[in-house]
Amino acid sequence: MRNHLATVSLLTAALLSGGALAADPGVTDTEILIGDVEPLTGPPALLGVAASIGHKIAIAEANNAGGINGRKIKYVLEDDGYVTARTIQGVKKVIEVDKVFAMLGISGSGQSIAVMPVLEKAGIPTVIDVAPVKLLWEPARKNVFVVGQSYEEGIIHLVNYLADKNPGKTWGLITQDDDYGITVRDGFDSVVKAKKLKVVYSGTYKKGQQDFSSDMLQLKESRADVFLAGGIIAENIAMMKELEKLNVKPVTGIFWPGRIEPVLKLMGPAGDGIYAVDYVEPFAGEAGKAFLEKAKPLVTEAEFKGINRYTMTGYAAAKVLIAAIERCGKTVTWACTISELEKTKNVETGVMAPISFGPGVRFSNQKLQIMQADAATLSFKPVK
Amino acid sequence: MRTGDYKQSYGELVTLIDSPPVWLWSTVLVLALVVAPYVLNAYALSFLTIILITVVGALGLNILTGYTGLISLGHVGFLLTGAYGYAVLVSKYQLPPLVGFLGAGLVPAAASLIVGAPSLRLKGLYLAITTLAFSFIINTVILEMRWLTNGARGIAVQRPEIFGVSFESDAAFTHLCLATAILTLFATLNIRRSRVGRAFVAIRDNDTAARVMGINLHAYKLLAFVTSAFITGIAGALYGIYLSFVNVEGFPFLLSIEALAILIVGGLGSALGAVLGTVLIVLLPEATRLVFSLFSAQMDAMFTTGAQELKSMLYGLVIILFLRFQPRGLVGVWHDLKRTWVNWPLRY
Amino acid sequence: MQYFLQLLISGLAIGAIYGLIAMGFAVIYKSTGLVNFAQGEMTMIVAYIAWTVSTTGSGNILVVSLAAILAAVSLGLVIERVVMRPMLGEPVFATVMVTIGLAVILRSSINFIWDAYPHGLDIGVGRGIVRVGGIGVRTGQIAVIATLLLLLAAIWAFFRYSKTGVAMRAVAADDRTALLMGISATRVHALAWAASSVIAGIGGVFFALSYDLSPAMFQLGLKAFPATILGGLDAVLGSGIGGLLIGLTENFAGGYIGSGMKEVAGFAMIIVVLMIRPFGLFGERDIERV
Repeated sequence: MRNHLATVSLLTAALLSGGALAADPGVTDTEILIGDVEPLTGPPALLGVAASIGHKIAIAEANNAGGINGRKIKYVLEDDGYVTARTIQGVKKVIEVDKVFAMLGISGSGQSIAVMPVLEKAGIPTVIDVAPVKLLWEPARKNVFVVGQSYEEGIIHLVNYLADKNPGKTWGLITQDDDYGITVRDGFDSVVKAKKLKVVYSGTYKKGQQDFSSDMLQLKESRADVFLAGGIIAENIAMMKELEKLNVKPVTGIFWPGRIEPVLKLMGPAGDGIYAVDYVEPFAGEAGKAFLEKAKPLVTEAEFKGINRYTMTGYAAAKVLIAAIERCGKTVTWACTISELEKTKNVETGVMAPISFGPGVRFSNQKLQIMQADAATLSFKPVK
Repeated sequence: MRTGDYKQSYGELVTLIDSPPVWLWSTVLVLALVVAPYVLNAYALSFLTIILITVVGALGLNILTGYTGLISLGHVGFLLTGAYGYAVLVSKYQLPPLVGFLGAGLVPAAASLIVGAPSLRLKGLYLAITTLAFSFIINTVILEMRWLTNGARGIAVQRPEIFGVSFESDAAFTHLCLATAILTLFATLNIRRSRVGRAFVAIRDNDTAARVMGINLHAYKLLAFVTSAFITGIAGALYGIYLSFVNVEGFPFLLSIEALAILIVGGLGSALGAVLGTVLIVLLPEATRLVFSLFSAQMDAMFTTGAQELKSMLYGLVIILFLRFQPRGLVGVWHDLKRTWVNWPLRY
Repeated sequence: MQYFLQLLISGLAIGAIYGLIAMGFAVIYKSTGLVNFAQGEMTMIVAYIAWTVSTTGSGNILVVSLAAILAAVSLGLVIERVVMRPMLGEPVFATVMVTIGLAVILRSSINFIWDAYPHGLDIGVGRGIVRVGGIGVRTGQIAVIATLLLLLAAIWAFFRYSKTGVAMRAVAADDRTALLMGISATRVHALAWAASSVIAGIGGVFFALSYDLSPAMFQLGLKAFPATILGGLDAVLGSGIGGLLIGLTENFAGGYIGSGMKEVAGFAMIIVVLMIRPFGLFGERDIERV
């Protein structure tokens, strides 16, 4: 009886620790676990599912090449339904119950800010890709790396470009009434101050608003020549169609969370020529086409349809993480992975500019590019 | 031979703990809950914390909906104002956390006075509609009062330190929630068996009769509403601390509905029901997740957005089935079980 | 003046959609005494079905409308038979909670069956723009206002003259007596669910036509609810007019006060109205003040 007990407890111990060699959780001789929490249900699934597909493509690519030094990667994905409390719980689950080795993701901006204390306490290597906002790398956290560019910088880049192209014109802006909208507004305001732009319309809309008739009418009345549409997806479509109805066509800029191709189909001719800013390659370009070619055999048909710009950001982050783990060789630990992540220098992912981190630098500061919508081909094309 | 559980005086009927075994098991349960944070992993512990916080809120709503029979469709508004009451006082004005908790109760209580005074004169769905409107309007008010609330930026909230005891760790914070939940449970149970509580129930059962017996309906309804808002506000403060960040988005309208679901699934009008309902509703997504993980091999292969949505659909289905087959709620199940246990092998 | 007229016409257009959904609420409340919290979700499902028909089958306007109406009728009947009828005789509160459970299921079925991307409903007409004196309006928006007005007239005639309409009013007024008079309450309930689903579904299809389909469309239910409170929960015609009033209030508040006010204007308005007329503008005066 006693013998049996001993065997059982040894077995349990072996199961729990997942192999005697590894000091940190989530690594066995044959496997490495990577965790993620994304909105997979409800409207925000649009970004969560796309990001997770990007992670899967990078992981499948690595696994097909034999895994990381012989270890296959297993991906553990949890749904948070875009509810902050569930994001916290989901992250605790993948860390504590599934005992993953590293994290990718994680959900929206508010959600990832809320899980920072959990990640910091756990000390788990994490690469954030979905919603890069300043609070995630200021102050820099030892184990949390962010691939992307800040919302503020993105807006500043876009507004500067539009301002140089349209000197002396009047401006209109509408933003969402949440932290995302505030960030957009902050970026906009800093350029307005620097370049002394003349703002004639400035509105906010409530998250989830569907009818923009009175807002766009006010924009029309203000006679703004340049318009920064601070909606996300459905909102930008509604605004553009409303402007079409009102027979005005200001020079319009949109921001990357709304820069997905199906938007153009819905905007129709109203969407032709709108400007967007992003740090990932457009799908219509060479790099974008190459990425789709690469992705096609690695995902299911349903997943392939779900690919959008968030798939690229997710793919890049997963590439960086996998490369760092790979450089650790046979003995994979958290400490090694974090120091290798820090040494990330000009890693090519094919979907954005080369990615680098550095000592104390936890933010990859991606290069931005301006693109313009082409209604005929329903795609965004880089602006020279 | 024991043939049943008989009460012989009114005192026996209203006593909170009526027999030594109940004493024993209650103590065991409380001890188990005190020890639990040291045993559970962080994931399981987060469920315990959420359950305890939700219990406080559900008990708050129970005073209004369960005892007094008034429906609120906007209780999330009180949760939100409670969280802001705490966050503004403690994070922004650096006041001690206890003052913050007091504010977390008083701010929603004041709001409930404004909403309740005009709308409680009438019967029926009236309060449900005004509270619904309140919960939407208060969002705009908070977003507009930037000087006080930081608007959409929200307010970061630290774990509190009370009388030199830090509640920084997850375990300690769970203890704080546990203490609050137990206090709230005792408070509501005692309200229920006092004159005030009997007046609430009289209003629920037959308001005309209650009036004839000399109960000032308007005053008592208002009292129930204000008490309910106060308790819900405390829950809001705890929820804000748990999220470590208070903003309007952390408190979606869905929470109002979920609170009502908790009361109904648990069994309307009973504090025990509120507790049981909370446990069920909070653990339901996890339970559906477990069911799904049984088929996880196939799930991983055919993983799409759709498969994830099945879980939410299952959640809705369980609520419907529950209401269909057990309209008395979990409390009904509990009473049936108790009777079967006591009378076995006889039916009666 | 042009500004005012443009606000007016946009307000009426969105208000007509609120009105149609609000009428869906009122039809169910009047005949079953329930507030249907799944109204917005039912509206959304019907619109998505119409879209599926238009993309997979024929984009012909007649085919799509017929399919949408058929789908709406079946949806209403199935929900009544499978979900609501077993709850007959249970407390109202529990029954209302059932509609909330139903709402969760329907909402999730969008991503389950379709996807989270927005889609445009294209049936060849309705997206064109008519301009009169600098005021722009989509043909679909004119159509929805006309539809609402026609439907209001038809429903008024139905309740006033048809036997079924009188039976429905009888069940609403006193279901026990109605039962004794030989009116089948379950038949009336089934009819009410089907009718509500169709009326709200029309609103949903028009919304998809003038705006777009997205999984967030169920929130229309939350916008239409104040409309039905304003018009009177038991007043089918009143709810339709309530919708127009809410649409106008929103647009004028957004156009003259500020964009932040737009989304709460409806709720602010019902609070004021309820203080003066708690039963809604057109509801039956049945207020117990104890």
